Amino acid sequence: MAEEVKKKRLTDIGPHDYNEYLSPMIKNNYGKWAYHEIIDPGTMVHVAESGDKLYTVRMGSPRLVSGSFVRDICDIADKYCGGHLRFTTRNNVEFLIEDEKNVEPLKKDIAAMGYNVGGIGNIVANIVHTQGWIHCHTSASDASGVVKSVMDELYEYFVEDKLPSKVRIAFACCLNMCGSVSSSDIAIVGTHRKPPRIDAERLRNLCEIPSTIAACPTNSIRPDTVDGKPGVKVNEETCVFCGSCYTVCPAMPIANAENDGLSIWVGGKVSNARTKPTFSKLAIPFIPNDPPRWPGVVNAVKTILNEYKKGAEPGERVGEWIDRIGWPRFFKLTGFPFTKYHIDDFRLAETTMNYSSHARL
Amino acid sequence: MGKKHQTPLLDELKKGKWISFVKEIERAAEKSERTEDLLGQVEESYRDKVNHWKHGGMAGVKGYGAGMVGRFSEFPEKYPGIKECHSMRIIPSAGFFYNTDFLRKLADISEKHAGGLLNFHGATGNIQILGMSQVEAEDVFQAVAELGFDLGGSGSDLRTPSCCAGQARCEFANYDTMKICRHLTEEYLDELHRPAFNYKFKFKFSGCANDCVASAARSDLAFIGTWKDKIKINQDEVKNYAKKFNVQKYVLDKCPTKCMWFESENLVIDDENCVKCMHCINELPKALKAGDERGCSILIGAKAPLVTGPRMGMMLVPFYDVNEDAKNDYEWLKSLISNMWEFWDEYGVSRERIGELIGRVGLNTFLEGIGLEPIPEMVEHPRSNPFIKFTEDEEE
Amino acid sequence: MTDETKKKVEDKILGLVTEYVGKKRFKPIDIVKEMEKEFASEGLTKDDIKAALKDLMDEEKLVYGYAGGSFLTVPENK
Ligand code: HEM
Ligand code: HEM
Ligand code: HEM
Ligand code: SF4
Ligand code: SF4
Ligand code: SF4
Ligand code: SF4
Repeated sequence: MAEEVKKKRLTDIGPHDYNEYLSPMIKNNYGKWAYHEIIDPGTMVHVAESGDKLYTVRMGSPRLVSGSFVRDICDIADKYCGGHLRFTTRNNVEFLIEDEKNVEPLKKDIAAMGYNVGGIGNIVANIVHTQGWIHCHTSASDASGVVKSVMDELYEYFVEDKLPSKVRIAFACCLNMCGSVSSSDIAIVGTHRKPPRIDAERLRNLCEIPSTIAACPTNSIRPDTVDGKPGVKVNEETCVFCGSCYTVCPAMPIANAENDGLSIWVGGKVSNARTKPTFSKLAIPFIPNDPPRWPGVVNAVKTILNEYKKGAEPGERVGEWIDRIGWPRFFKLTGFPFTKYHIDDFRLAETTMNYSSHARL
Repeated sequence: MGKKHQTPLLDELKKGKWISFVKEIERAAEKSERTEDLLGQVEESYRDKVNHWKHGGMAGVKGYGAGMVGRFSEFPEKYPGIKECHSMRIIPSAGFFYNTDFLRKLADISEKHAGGLLNFHGATGNIQILGMSQVEAEDVFQAVAELGFDLGGSGSDLRTPSCCAGQARCEFANYDTMKICRHLTEEYLDELHRPAFNYKFKFKFSGCANDCVASAARSDLAFIGTWKDKIKINQDEVKNYAKKFNVQKYVLDKCPTKCMWFESENLVIDDENCVKCMHCINELPKALKAGDERGCSILIGAKAPLVTGPRMGMMLVPFYDVNEDAKNDYEWLKSLISNMWEFWDEYGVSRERIGELIGRVGLNTFLEGIGLEPIPEMVEHPRSNPFIKFTEDEEE
Repeated sequence: MTDETKKKVEDKILGLVTEYVGKKRFKPIDIVKEMEKEFASEGLTKDDIKAALKDLMDEEKLVYGYAGGSFLTVPENK
């Protein structure tokens, strides 16, 4: 190997200094913003104590993007924003505009390129989602395809402000639930329904038995002797198909084409405004995978959204609406059957019963 | 360019108004040929309704135990381009602010050395470059490092901390989220690069109770901005809002503690009873502002379902004077964190998040371990069951 | 910690991990605890042991594995 004069290997350089990326107006008004106003579902303005105005145009993104996408948004930011832009927690792109005159031309350019402007105010926010079949091995479903199908159907609610409050939808393809999926207005979660299969031969080589046993939340994994050698067995009576064991032990695959699918959860939120943060609750225990467009999931989400839109008061999040009308009515309105699966039987299950005579009859 | 694989199912997802990830993968494949094989394999998943990635396999760069995740195709002969399809996590710029120069260079790197695909951003907030092989990893790492960026967390380590846009572009921010996020990332770089914990640990910083980064639902330590003194009221602006909508119904009546009311035309707030939920300030941003004595609450223990069920963050420190502590490089906070990590090291078991540990040993044991006193803000209400375990009082 | 002690600690760690490959997955904290016991008489601190671990990793004598949680192991080609 021809050893050239080698550059010193860079390592442990730490987080980049964000100050380099703040526009002059942001630097000047850092910590001195006075208020903001939403102009339309794609645009808002932040007004500083100094009187400076910073316009933000928000654009939807699928999160998984190509280099070409990155160059597209850079072209726009160079043309109108002095090269400054940011991303939101929910994976949108935000263009930061100092000159009001640039707002409308920028939006026109984005539209001409086929991108979507919206996501501010009482809208359906961009769906936070996970990797799915594109990049994860524990997935019970794809992520991007379900998200695309739901967003196509709810597109009008991203670009127009016509809901009682904001609706945050999230997607996770397994119970790891990357992201704040378990506390969303509507959560779509990949669900396995069969216990793991055990490949005893591979298990001996690949897996550490004590940590595999410890991985199980329901103590369903027990040591076992297989062909005179150490192994494990699964108590299928108590297994809840969570896939935690597979995470620790690759010889216990749980994916199952016929039996994997999605569940729908509602009424969670993370913001502390008005009511405390809360988890989403089960609405539909299982909908089979139906690629490429998952019509069952799309319809379920649409049904919830329609009832919410009809019934909620202005400013009420989905969970606040359900709290007011009660769960029995939620199931009646949506037509979703209430089943034995809706009654909790895990840790803390007892805390979820109705200890009162209250019932809306 | 002819298509290497037929993808009739994925093609369905190129239709419709929402931006299509399939088109994005195709655009990436135009620049980085290997990504055609990704389309092929994903199409196969769509047909079989099951994913086709192998479990396990390592990828990484020298000296680091984190920052790369290894991914291997189940069908390396059929899809050689994604035989190895690893991803690299990169610590983002705080608040996700960038300039185009950096982003363009990153796009180039992703096409030259990987699959031409990126995530902005991952669920913990890393930038991700997808689709590289192990032999390319070092080159990508060095190219990224030359741009002044480092790898993020993965595995049982401190995950890449993240924060809201805070004071850079939000009038609600009660402290400088970006500053503390960067500072602690820098401080704990070793914990981030070299996994040494029982399991993952996350910090997230939100400037106010709106909690835009969902810290209370998904970080072991959540920092949520708050204030101690009175909400500042501009009565003229209140009157302006009152002309536009029913302030009584939509703001006052929804205050969780009913601590605000009108006296004649003037808004009055009983600040002692305000729980700083942000509702009124959200609705009347021109009229109401948080007070001047600002800081943040610290919540502990949030996590997703695996292994023992999901948890929300619970109140640990109602008011942390972060703005004051910032002047001492956050010394008070660092000593608290160090106590916590020591306790977790000592008593936690493998794959046990700190919230689960607290659930197992009890909050009192944890508080004793880290040197905090029990206070009523920590509970929804005092115990209602009579099974009290009295202990011998050591002083007596 | 002298270089000599460090060498001793490193050898001990490497021996331990090698011996248990395929039987037990050591997290770094397990190793720190083991070594604290092992070298209690020499007054080694956690940081000393962590420094030794870091050396081993920089020299790629030890690498990280991942199976639901991170652990240390020897490189596959050895
Ligand atoms: C091989 C194993 C795992 C890998 C590669 C992994 C990777 C990740 C990644 C990449 C993220 C997004 C954050 C980031 O950018 O760093 C994440 C988030 C998350 N992971 Fe893990 N993870 C693993 C195992 C688990 C397990 C076993 C659980 C649960 C017990 C879990 C729970 C979560 C949760 C709840 C989040 C989202 C919360 C948040 O964004 O803060 N992960 N994980
Ligand atoms: C048992 C193993 C694993 C578990 C439990 C797991 C869990 C997770 C979780 C919870 C996330 C967060 C989701 C998100 O950001 O969208 C995640 C993300 C991710 N995982 Fe996995 N993962 C596992 C293995 C892997 C492996 C082996 C790879 C790659 C080779 C991988 C690649 C990724 C990537 C690229 C992300 C996205 C990270 C990000 O968005 O920042 N994961 N995984
Ligand atoms: C602070 C402690 C306690 C208080 C104030 C308390 C009070 C009471 C009261 C008011 C009743 C109802 C009596 C009646 O109206 O007929 C009751 C019944 C009972 N208590 Fe307690 N109790 C306490 C602790 C306990 C404990 C520690 C146990 C057992 C471990 C216990 C077991 C029972 C039983 C078995 C009954 C009968 C329940 C029934 O009616 O079927 N109590 N207690
Ligand atoms: S939710 Fe589950 S399947 Fe989806 S990316 Fe996360 S770990 Fe993988
Ligand atoms: S799937 Fe979950 S419940 Fe079932 S054996 Fe595995 S870890 Fe236990
Ligand atoms: S969390 Fe609060 S301070 Fe931070 S961006 Fe959201 S509203 Fe603003
Ligand atoms: S912040 Fe919340 S609790 Fe405080 S006055 Fe406003 S609405 Fe009421």
